[in-house]
Amino acid sequence: MLSYHFDWSIILSGTYFDWLVSGLKVTLWLSASGILLSFLLGLCVAVMRMSHIAPVRWVAQLFLEVTRNTPLLVQIFFWYFGSYKLLPTDLNDWLNNHNFEFVAALAALTIYTSAFIAEDIRSGVLSIPKEQLEAARSAGFSYLRSMQYIILPQAVRITIPPLVNQFLNLAKNSSLAMTIGVMELTYQARQVESYTFKGFEAFTAATVVYLALSVVITFLVDQYNNRVLKLHKAS
Amino acid sequence: MIQCKGVHKWFKDLHVLNDINLQVTKGEVLVVCGPSGSGKSTLIRTINKLEPINEGTIIVDGMDLADRKTDINKLRAEVGFVFQQFNLYPHLSVMNNITLAPRKIRKTPRREAEEQAMQLLARVGLAEKHAAYPSQLSGGQQQRVAIARALAMNPRIMLFDEPTSALDPEMIGEVLSVMQDLARSGMTMMVVTHEMGFAREVANRVIFMDAGTILEEAPPAQFFRTPQHDRARQFLNQLLTPMHGASTTAAA
Repeated sequence: MLSYHFDWSIILSGTYFDWLVSGLKVTLWLSASGILLSFLLGLCVAVMRMSHIAPVRWVAQLFLEVTRNTPLLVQIFFWYFGSYKLLPTDLNDWLNNHNFEFVAALAALTIYTSAFIAEDIRSGVLSIPKEQLEAARSAGFSYLRSMQYIILPQAVRITIPPLVNQFLNLAKNSSLAMTIGVMELTYQARQVESYTFKGFEAFTAATVVYLALSVVITFLVDQYNNRVLKLHKAS
Repeated sequence: MIQCKGVHKWFKDLHVLNDINLQVTKGEVLVVCGPSGSGKSTLIRTINKLEPINEGTIIVDGMDLADRKTDINKLRAEVGFVFQQFNLYPHLSVMNNITLAPRKIRKTPRREAEEQAMQLLARVGLAEKHAAYPSQLSGGQQQRVAIARALAMNPRIMLFDEPTSALDPEMIGEVLSVMQDLARSGMTMMVVTHEMGFAREVANRVIFMDAGTILEEAPPAQFFRTPQHDRARQFLNQLLTPMHGASTTAAA
């Protein structure tokens, strides 16, 4: 005998629906910009990690150790509660007026995820035969240009499956941004629950939306992957 | 164009290049042969600094490789290199394999680079393959594309590191004939190869290496008729036994 009365209508229309939709928008923005930025940062860190210049390698190594071995939640708190003490007052004021929670959450998610992406890309680069780099260098490309035009495009393609995992993790981890007051999907679901006591409905809705988001990301990357693989079967 | 003086190289305790002295003048074709492990591939890889050396001087097209002021990327752009394993870029079409370096390094406009690429592809007999990907080509076709790719930079020197060793016998001829045409056009070439037919027909001089040293250096007629060293005689006899005859006749 259930004493709980399901009421799906409240989350499917009206104010609470609007809350969830606005939360989804924030989640999408946070995930999309996080995926893009963490991918770019991950590429840079991967290249630095393989540099011939020892201090550059050390910086990358330190970055990887710190970011991979500390909890994401601590990093989010660090950027939100800690970082602004280091910033100049003017920039602080400006950030406080411009959604600082979002920026701090984005920074933490980007940096955290980029460390994993960097290691995935690095293992992709290591699997490219060294003759590819020799061919590029012997044509007159510098080390960085060889990476840019010849090595990384090949490495990223074979790194796509682990990259998808990192992108999905980022999208799911974006829910932690609620802890610093970013009004994303989980935050809004919690709000709906607080106002209505309809926790089952609210978090079921959030679950379905996260699931759909993951499926969409996987689908998009698969599409890209198939298109690319059709063009050049791994030789 | 190429000058090596007193070049030494060690891999740990192994003395892979031992006092190498040689010269290649403009328009000359130099063939380097010798048993495997003799250091010939290492030698040709030192010419564009794919392998660093421990001692000696290498001067290529007037530039000293050891000089800090020498821009190695610029020098490499002037020296075409063809690998045993072709090493085409698998993620790019034949056209982009050829035009990438001219477009990105020489800043040649795409249209111009593509027109030149089509001419080069016609020259190596593969005009119809411009849109193909390397994995869709045979070994011989890949190597001809690799030669076209190297030529696209208008190099002053071409280096070939065993360009036919990874090929099936029936494909060796098509690659050698492209190289022969190139030699006739006056290109300065240094070629590491076992194809003695090619050496006899095309080379101006032949160098025989063994255990990191140059044992013999002579015009091909003299080298093949009257080799001076026992090691060279042995080497030639081995290549000319019937078992190896197939590839040498295909070359000639």
